[in-house]
Amino acid sequence: MSLSLLKVLIPMLLTGLKYTIQIALLGIIFGFFIGSLTGFVLQWKSKVLKFIAGVYIWIIRGTPLVVQALYMYYVIPKLLHTDISSYTAGVIVVSLNSGAFIAEIVRGALQGVALGQKEAGLSLGLSPKQTLFHIIVPPAFRSMLPALCNHFIIIVKDTALLSMITVNEMTHQAQNYTAMSFQYIPTYTILALFYLILISVLILLQKYVEKRMGATK
Amino acid sequence: MIDIQHLSKNFDELCVLSDINLHVQEGEVVCIIGPSGSGKSTLLRCINLLEQPTGGKIFYRGKDITGGEMDIRQLREEVGMVFQHFNLFPLRTVLENVTLAPVLTKTKNKREAKQFGMELLEKVGLAEKANVKPANLSGGMQQRVAIARALAMQPKALLFDEPTSALDPELVGDVLEVMKKLALEGMTMLVVTHEMGFARDVAHRVVFMDNGSIVEEGNPEDIFTNPKEERTRAFLNRVL
Repeated sequence: MSLSLLKVLIPMLLTGLKYTIQIALLGIIFGFFIGSLTGFVLQWKSKVLKFIAGVYIWIIRGTPLVVQALYMYYVIPKLLHTDISSYTAGVIVVSLNSGAFIAEIVRGALQGVALGQKEAGLSLGLSPKQTLFHIIVPPAFRSMLPALCNHFIIIVKDTALLSMITVNEMTHQAQNYTAMSFQYIPTYTILALFYLILISVLILLQKYVEKRMGATK
Repeated sequence: MIDIQHLSKNFDELCVLSDINLHVQEGEVVCIIGPSGSGKSTLLRCINLLEQPTGGKIFYRGKDITGGEMDIRQLREEVGMVFQHFNLFPLRTVLENVTLAPVLTKTKNKREAKQFGMELLEKVGLAEKANVKPANLSGGMQQRVAIARALAMQPKALLFDEPTSALDPELVGDVLEVMKKLALEGMTMLVVTHEMGFARDVAHRVVFMDNGSIVEEGNPEDIFTNPKEERTRAFLNRVL
């Protein structure tokens, strides 16, 4: 392993890291919105909305993320006669993907809030909507946080698959470097270490969140 | 004030209440006793429409609530409920539990609600716990908070669904004390309970239910010392 290798590879990986984190963050934020909406819809009375939400979750859960990424980058723009950047395609795919999984987390959390809470709200003369947002959602959100942290960690790792559609995240940067240097062993070892450190930090964060949740329960 | 006529309730095939007739006057305290599964709680929950009756009518101050003559939220503001398992809001402080509904329903602004909330906590003997989370209170204290929370809407009547059944025996007294105080102040109360002592001392009328119908009702003295029905006698022999 030479110094010049580190001089080139490390900056490349740092650039990749920036994209990895960016896409993961955007993915969890958009995913949370999509997931919350879908999660609420799953609790809704409307059969049509429930059906649409069901189909969405079915498609996302029923296909690999890589295939979704390939489809989003190569097929959908062609069908719509437009062009999108690989970065945009990556963000969309990760968001849609985490949305489907977060929907289940949201649904579980909403159902996990005891029926007695809802009845207490209603019995005080609150509307169903007030009961939902002031009584059911706050504890549901709280119980969701550990699962959301966990899902964020999964998303960070999933972004590596976006290298398949040439998104400039860490894994793709490492691949680019090996393509010109053929230094497979050091490159992928360092790449793995980068992920390991990043995820370790996130796990510590998750532990911290869980501890705080537990302390105030 | 509350007039129940031929009320029935089925859950699918299961008949939980059949042909219930009960009239509760303003200021009256009515205790409903009977074995578990006799439909006592369901009857109570029909009165504030947490359960939708399947037959019969319930009138509140002359309005048919089962026929949609009254806004459900208005009804629930006027007829409060206290639950067996308290159902306090766990993330909110004791005071917030009490002030949430008046503020959300805009019956009081924040400052008024707070002031009134403190008065109510004073009344149930928990003013010093105002800023504590419910989980840090004993069951008896939680139930007293739940009573204060129901009172915060200034209800005209209160429904108590086995308010002391989930409590350790030594905590029951404080809750009953608060309920007694309310009864003496003239609050209209319907109480489903297994506390025969309370029913005897405080109730104006005792209703014995079994198997989804009212078997016998009368003043506590008659019911407890001289029940007419065999089923009432059998039940009282078992619990007293």
